[in-house]
Amino acid sequence: MSAAPLSDSDKHSTALLSYPGFVKRSLVVMTEGSYAFLTWMTVLTAIALVGLNAWANQVATGMAVTGMSDQVSWGLYIANFTFCVGLAAGGVMMVIPAYLYKDKEMHQVVIIGETVAIAAIVMCLMFVMADLGRPDRFWHLMPGLGKFNWPISMLTWDVLVLNGYLLLNLHVVGYLLYTRYLGKTPNPLWYIPFVFISIFWAISIHTVTAFLYCGLGGRPFWNTALLAPRFLASAFVSGPAFIIIVMRVLRLIYHYDAPAGPARTLIQIMRVAMVANLVMSVSELFTVFYTGGTHGATGQYMYFGLHGHDGLVIWTWSSLLLNLTGTVLLFLPAALQRGTVRIVACLLCIAGIWIEKGMGLIIPGFIPSTLHQLVEYSPSTTEWKISLGVLAFGLMVLTLLLKVIAKVFLGKMTVADQS
Amino acid sequence: MSDPESVTPDQAAAWDQGSTEAESNPEPELFFVSHESDQGEQASSERSVSIAKGSRIASAVPIQKAPGSDRYPVVIQRYEGAPMIRLQADDPLQRQGQVACSTCHSVRKPNLKNTVAQLDQFHQGFSFAHGQLTCYACHKAQQPDALRLADGQPVAYREVMSMCSQCHSQQAIAYQHGAHGGMNGFWDLSRGPQFKNNCVDCHDPHVPKYPSMKVQFKPHDRFLQTNDQSSDH
Amino acid sequence: MANSNSAQNTPASPELPVVNPTRRKAVKAGFATLGLAAFAAAISPLRSAAKQTSAQAFFQNHYRELSAEDKRKVIARLEAETKEKYGAEVHIADDRPIPGTKFVYAINLSVCNGNGNCVKACHEENNHDRATHQSYIRVLEMDKGSMELGNGDSEYQGVVPKDGKFYLPVQCQQCDEPPCVDVCPVKATWKEEDGIVVIDYNWCIGCRYCEAACPYHARRFNWKQPEIPAEEVNPDQSYLSNRIRPAGVVEKCTYCLHRTRRGKLPACLEACPTGARVFGNILDPESNIRWILENKRVYVLKEELGTKPAFFYYFD
Repeated sequence: MSAAPLSDSDKHSTALLSYPGFVKRSLVVMTEGSYAFLTWMTVLTAIALVGLNAWANQVATGMAVTGMSDQVSWGLYIANFTFCVGLAAGGVMMVIPAYLYKDKEMHQVVIIGETVAIAAIVMCLMFVMADLGRPDRFWHLMPGLGKFNWPISMLTWDVLVLNGYLLLNLHVVGYLLYTRYLGKTPNPLWYIPFVFISIFWAISIHTVTAFLYCGLGGRPFWNTALLAPRFLASAFVSGPAFIIIVMRVLRLIYHYDAPAGPARTLIQIMRVAMVANLVMSVSELFTVFYTGGTHGATGQYMYFGLHGHDGLVIWTWSSLLLNLTGTVLLFLPAALQRGTVRIVACLLCIAGIWIEKGMGLIIPGFIPSTLHQLVEYSPSTTEWKISLGVLAFGLMVLTLLLKVIAKVFLGKMTVADQS
Repeated sequence: MSDPESVTPDQAAAWDQGSTEAESNPEPELFFVSHESDQGEQASSERSVSIAKGSRIASAVPIQKAPGSDRYPVVIQRYEGAPMIRLQADDPLQRQGQVACSTCHSVRKPNLKNTVAQLDQFHQGFSFAHGQLTCYACHKAQQPDALRLADGQPVAYREVMSMCSQCHSQQAIAYQHGAHGGMNGFWDLSRGPQFKNNCVDCHDPHVPKYPSMKVQFKPHDRFLQTNDQSSDH
Repeated sequence: MANSNSAQNTPASPELPVVNPTRRKAVKAGFATLGLAAFAAAISPLRSAAKQTSAQAFFQNHYRELSAEDKRKVIARLEAETKEKYGAEVHIADDRPIPGTKFVYAINLSVCNGNGNCVKACHEENNHDRATHQSYIRVLEMDKGSMELGNGDSEYQGVVPKDGKFYLPVQCQQCDEPPCVDVCPVKATWKEEDGIVVIDYNWCIGCRYCEAACPYHARRFNWKQPEIPAEEVNPDQSYLSNRIRPAGVVEKCTYCLHRTRRGKLPACLEACPTGARVFGNILDPESNIRWILENKRVYVLKEELGTKPAFFYYFD
């Protein structure tokens, strides 16, 4: 992409006039495709509808249909929320090489990372909605309309940074996509500043999300300064891992000659981030088990069980095993090449970090409770349905956006062939 | 009690007014001599000797602010008259009998050397666990229907708290400041009176240790396993 | 739903499997209809939920923004709702702090024997859900010689006190630096002038961040609508205190402000048969609570967290 700005008022008006056509054609592209595509979308729609129905039931009957309790007052929703924030933040690991280090090949595919971020943030917001006991009072959370406890409440910060990140990425993706559709060169003034803001913003979304938890003095397991760095490190594994898988799927579907560089860069980033994540995990574990005391109770419960309660032991060791195996695979030379090893490594890392963020972080923060009651948590069917529904919806968003993006960037949909 | 806000017996008699619903019974309240009964099971336990406290006198007069004061009084529960001993067996006419201490003790010379173990004739089944005290440390030997202060002066049963306070001064001080004995009613005396227990409401003078109780109510938290093994102790 | 809600007639793209444009349009319309029908069916449980909420309830403003007239209407509506849902005639007051008061609580742990009457009194006074025996108080059975909550047991039963144990009742500490208030994203909870931390149960969005933030397990969430038989409903209610809470919101101890702001003692104190509980206005130098704080070696729970509780414990 060259950097010649368009400044003509003539071109400008063309740009505006073509927009309805662009939207219309995008919608067509989104609703038409191969049988495989239609099947995929139908399955996702079905899952999303099952989730929607489960959510409607949860709203109608109350949160008693979840597995949460006054002791473990957050569960699968907030766990998934946290993981999705990581996915969204992970996209920045494409943006940094592309824009800060001028990686040309990365620049060609960076839009995938930004699109993944959009879908992930959409999922984040939906998971928060799913967790609310009174979603009908959602408007109380809107600045101006309701009462926004900013800047004291970290949750208001999270609302701001997540929505801000969503808007930033929507703008950047939308602008790049549309200028490409018009066959024009993007004006750097219109997106480069936003890209740089989004780099810091990406760091902020996961930092603020970590601050949600680590600022709570009553929860010693969360109350550690390492939480935000750990969140970032794990996000820089799970995000790129997911993007690598998306790129693989896109390459297989569209049979185009994609550059090999970006994925290799991402794998190298993942190697560093995963090692950093593991180092921080080990230092947390050391503190927990060597010091013992109140802080140690949670660690004891997670790894070995406490007073006959061991609901998280299987999850904890699974996560450890998945992360370690994933790391080993990441460091194999084969991971730098296209192939199964890389994909398996990415899948293992995603699974390991998903558990680490949920069953390994959100849930144990509540066990034992502040009065040291041992109440265990396992997600109810409703929670699984809603979570899978949100995931399905997120994948729908991702699929549809990527479908339009692929059409436009592969030159199959331009303003030239409009009429 | 030397508390200036303590009230006259007349006012004390009105303790039933505005107090909790459990206090509306004008009958003498039975006070079982026991140190091991559970609160919930007290009423059904069988005892050889039972002592009835003096009666509360119900009054229809509502509790008023003292003249010239903007505050309502602190009303302390009191009992009129000396306690009665409830006879174990009924008389030939199937009547239950109650006798005053003086019924026997006015004709029987006090034996200062008696210990509780020796009181087997007319105090059968009587339990005593109140330090190393002897009977006449607290009971006035010459006046069986009165108590005895440390200096030998008699004091009416109604004023039992001043006798208790002689030894238990720490508790008496705490009581004066609401830190012992419990209360009902108002914390803000400008809005209403406060009602406080008498020492003997909670402590059997002969076995003053506060009785054990049984836990009657437990919250059922979601997914919190209850440990039933601890229910038998 | 995006795949089924648009049915424009446009030139066929190469990979489209259905060749005939008219047929394609029909298939698309069919899918769109099917999708919309499925969507409507999926959200149908919301209709019954929506019936429960009136427009006035939905648009009700934050408690602190309500005028006297607004409050009157809101309270009338809540009383009518209670009548309708629970069959109970109740009176909901709007008790405001008494000027010059700051409420403080203390418990004598030497005396408390763990009988749990306070737990029950709270349950009944505050119109808690009968099914779950909910209460704002939890009593921990602790090992003598240990202040470690980890050795405590909240589920003890049977005859108390047990040998070698002491009992630690825990409820809202009405902190001067309440973490629950800080974290609330919508200012649904705040600290009033007399020190009571309250919740506007009609403003809370139910995110439960405050439950996560409270170090004392003082907050409860209404996982479903509380169930109380009409004859057991305590009709003497207050908007910020013991009125029956809606489902999906967090609730908490208010030191029985519907009693204490009328000069009366809290229900848990009156229910205590051991006299372990002391309550009062710390601003009154003659108050019981002042005497405790000046004469007893008191401590607070989890002092290291800097929450500055208005709830003290002592032994004598």
